[in-house]
Amino acid sequence: MNDINQLVEMLATDASPVRPAPSAFMLSFKLMGAAAAYLAVSLAISGMRPDLIEKLHSPWFAAEIALLILIFASTSLSVALLGFPDLHQNPGATYAPAAVFLVFLAVIFFAWIADTPPAPLPMHSFQCTLGIMMVSILPAMWTFYALRQYASTHHRLAGSIALLSSFSVGALWLRLHELNDSVIHLIQWHYLPMLGIGLLGIGLGKVLLKW
Amino acid sequence: MRKSLEGDQLAYANLLRETARLLRPFLSKRLSFESEIDDLLQEILISIHKARHTYDGKRPYKPWVYAIAKFRLQDYLRAHYADQLRHSVELSELENILHEDVTESTISYESISGEIQKLPEKQAAILQLMHEEGYTAKEVAAKLGMNESAVKVAAHRAYKVLRKKLEQS
Repeated sequence: MNDINQLVEMLATDASPVRPAPSAFMLSFKLMGAAAAYLAVSLAISGMRPDLIEKLHSPWFAAEIALLILIFASTSLSVALLGFPDLHQNPGATYAPAAVFLVFLAVIFFAWIADTPPAPLPMHSFQCTLGIMMVSILPAMWTFYALRQYASTHHRLAGSIALLSSFSVGALWLRLHELNDSVIHLIQWHYLPMLGIGLLGIGLGKVLLKW
Repeated sequence: MRKSLEGDQLAYANLLRETARLLRPFLSKRLSFESEIDDLLQEILISIHKARHTYDGKRPYKPWVYAIAKFRLQDYLRAHYADQLRHSVELSELENILHEDVTESTISYESISGEIQKLPEKQAAILQLMHEEGYTAKEVAAKLGMNESAVKVAAHRAYKVLRKKLEQS
């Protein structure tokens, strides 16, 4: 008990005024704003697919892009909430990406069914995964950096969602850039690796978000 | 908490004391020893101090504090059980030991008494009772308030350590 009292005295002496961290919503807006700007610059440099306007009239492509944006937005909000020990007392929004992912999987499944005759497979394969990874590294770095300024009590989940959020930026970029509509290729080289990276984030979160 | 975020040291000290009072029963239900509770409580208070910028005073305080307390408790228990696993004895190994007559040894107690004194207190006491004073494992168990198997396991571990030391020297 004496030790506790001594510690309390010590911590109180050390207690200089502290500015509360920006709210989770502000942090998520910042993350989304930075990623949107980064995506715009990446697309300006790499160029958009030439048939983008035409493709946006295809309901499955439009739904896929809309859901990728929704995944990015929901994971950004989730990451921001996970930065707070108590999830900013908003567990519903924290776990919202799971629901968005399920809808996304359903859309991909129906797009696959609707893909008759199947679009031809592109000549390349793993290059897409590499491209997504390259574009996602920077968003992943700043998301982890931002998270480290907070105090996550769910560091494994936070790491996983942070990587999913960054990789959704990369996936979005490639989908708007690459002239390719093979659903099999998308599943194999875009979205399955994205899920794998999400799993990798569990370990990364454990190491990088310790406090 | 709002006052303490503004740098009011007295308010902060009171808040931490109240928090410690609030968390003690929570930890007592989950941990057996008072020393463990004190250690963890200190760790939680330090964590609260480190994370205080993530509390803005607009949300209830208790869920925030309990989230940190649960997080540190889980960390502590994870480390505790991992440690226990590291020091656990294989069941098959245990079966062999239990049949062994641990009171008989080819090494004389006097020749290695110096090394024995360097062992953990309990192990040293067990070896001393068995080999210097000639008690059986059962008698040592009764004397030290342990069960016989635990005495044999402790003796076996001590032999292992001693064997390693003797091989090195």
